[in-house]
Amino acid sequence: MARANILSPTAGSVWKIEMKLGDRVEEDDPIMILESMKMEIPVMSDAPGTLIEILVSVSDSVNEDQVVAMIETDRDAN
Amino acid sequence: MSWQPEVDEITARQNAALKLGGEANIARHHSRHRLTVRERIHALLDDGSFEEIGSLTGNSVYDEEGRRIGSAPSNIVCGFGKADGRTIFVTGDDFTLKGGSSEAGNVYKQRHSELLVRDMKVPLVRLVDGSGGGGSVRDLEDIGRTYVPLGRHRPPVVPVVVENLSRVPVVGLCLGSVAGIGAIRVVISHYSMMVRDSSHLFVAGPPLVNQTGETPRTKEELGGAGIHGKSGAIDDIVDSELEAFERTRRFLSYLPSSVDDLPPRACIDDDPDRVEESLINAVPRERRRPHKVRKIIEAIVDRGSFFELSRTYGKSIVIGLARFDGWPVLLMAGDPFTMGAAWTAAASQKITRFVDMANTFHLPVVHLVDCPGFEIGLRGETANTIRHGARAICAISAFKGPWCSIIIRNATGLGGAAHQPVEAISMRYAWPSARWGSLPIEGGIEAAYKTEIETAPDPEAKRTEIYARLEAIQSPFRTAEVYDIEELIDPRGTRSVICRFANRTSGLRQTSPVSLPLRP
Repeated sequence: MARANILSPTAGSVWKIEMKLGDRVEEDDPIMILESMKMEIPVMSDAPGTLIEILVSVSDSVNEDQVVAMIETDRDAN
Repeated sequence: MSWQPEVDEITARQNAALKLGGEANIARHHSRHRLTVRERIHALLDDGSFEEIGSLTGNSVYDEEGRRIGSAPSNIVCGFGKADGRTIFVTGDDFTLKGGSSEAGNVYKQRHSELLVRDMKVPLVRLVDGSGGGGSVRDLEDIGRTYVPLGRHRPPVVPVVVENLSRVPVVGLCLGSVAGIGAIRVVISHYSMMVRDSSHLFVAGPPLVNQTGETPRTKEELGGAGIHGKSGAIDDIVDSELEAFERTRRFLSYLPSSVDDLPPRACIDDDPDRVEESLINAVPRERRRPHKVRKIIEAIVDRGSFFELSRTYGKSIVIGLARFDGWPVLLMAGDPFTMGAAWTAAASQKITRFVDMANTFHLPVVHLVDCPGFEIGLRGETANTIRHGARAICAISAFKGPWCSIIIRNATGLGGAAHQPVEAISMRYAWPSARWGSLPIEGGIEAAYKTEIETAPDPEAKRTEIYARLEAIQSPFRTAEVYDIEELIDPRGTRSVICRFANRTSGLRQTSPVSLPLRP
């Protein structure tokens, strides 16, 4: 197992947080939804695992590639 | 009396050159998980195809009787070879000899390499390592004076390097810690790569930068993959040198050998009329939900033919090379996962670079249009989006080849308006999910109906009422009725439409010279 950063795919603001700490996540599961240029952009997990940190709150502004959450993956990190 | 002794001398010197900088330096180079220059050339080219030029170049020491008592080969290895059967020219820096610097280099060889590719009209791959032939302060003691950089004391290299950008495909590989002129030789190219955790690229490295008072940084912190994966200086970060060579061969396969040729058609076993059922649901009906554009791309191109370029830079636009019924094209598509597919400053620069490249090498362009306009807000203004966006508009407007646009979602604002050149050989289609206009409805309502909304008894209800009226007018069918969009299509038939376009326009591609010199 390893810790993996979940990165924001875009600059925007946090609109909804869809999961809570300890939740099981699968690859492509949306952890939170950002709003950017009138679009609802899901921040998805890159790998299966467990959500162990959420580093932002609703209404926070985020930058592209900012670390917004962390998961503990089921497999070794790359 | 034969010339066998001299021939033996040629062979002896060529064999000596194979030893590069010696076993100890080679071992040190390998310990950093890097290949030697000759190993790189061997891995890049088809087996047995390398024909070295300048194999005897080097520095020799002679005694008072004129006997050769010492020697070292040049740290530039170059020559012709084949990449997947096509002739290319490769030039590589030998870091095991004086760190690839001019101390062991030969500027005549470096310059002649660039002249050869220009005049022989073959693609060029630069395997750059170290300073890439850049100057060393030790040179000053050897020559007894200083010199104006790139001045008249030596034949100029950079002008030919610049000229080749408009003549032949050039790939720049950053394979070590590269600075100065080496860095320039990487980025004055059509496609560049560096190796994660091994390569570095900077204007100047830590020894110089750490003298300036700036916070001391390591090579990785100053010019590693973490920096240039996002800066735009390097197109793609790869995990190994072998991956870089494979991607180099693949990149070149979409392009002609020079501007005097047309891009080659590949033999493809994929039905040009293949119907893709997934595309009927690819774009969500909810306008705020993004679609996965790469899945759409993979569904319509010849299977496995999409070769993405510069994936981690300017991410709101996806750009790459692809094939439709074997015909190579430049493919662009908005990615709504980044900034709703708005053209940011970085995306605009990416568009400009690669549309210009396609124009230079006679590649048609296929554009899956989804663009709500340029990025708005303070971040976009600070990044000078309007000027970079204007340059992208100019690049598209100047494009002379065939261009096919499929509007799959948004075409609004300046970016949406620039989705294709007006004068060129172009066709335009749209999916039923397409919406267009000068402004997105949402923002336009606030501006145009400001007073009506603010003075209404229930502003939110008034806003909703106005939106519903305008939503009906937005139907793409109304636009098609007046031929302001040429054709609406079933998304599932997109591949067939584009393949027919590619075949119909293949004979219209021309090897006419580029009107403006290309810039990196």
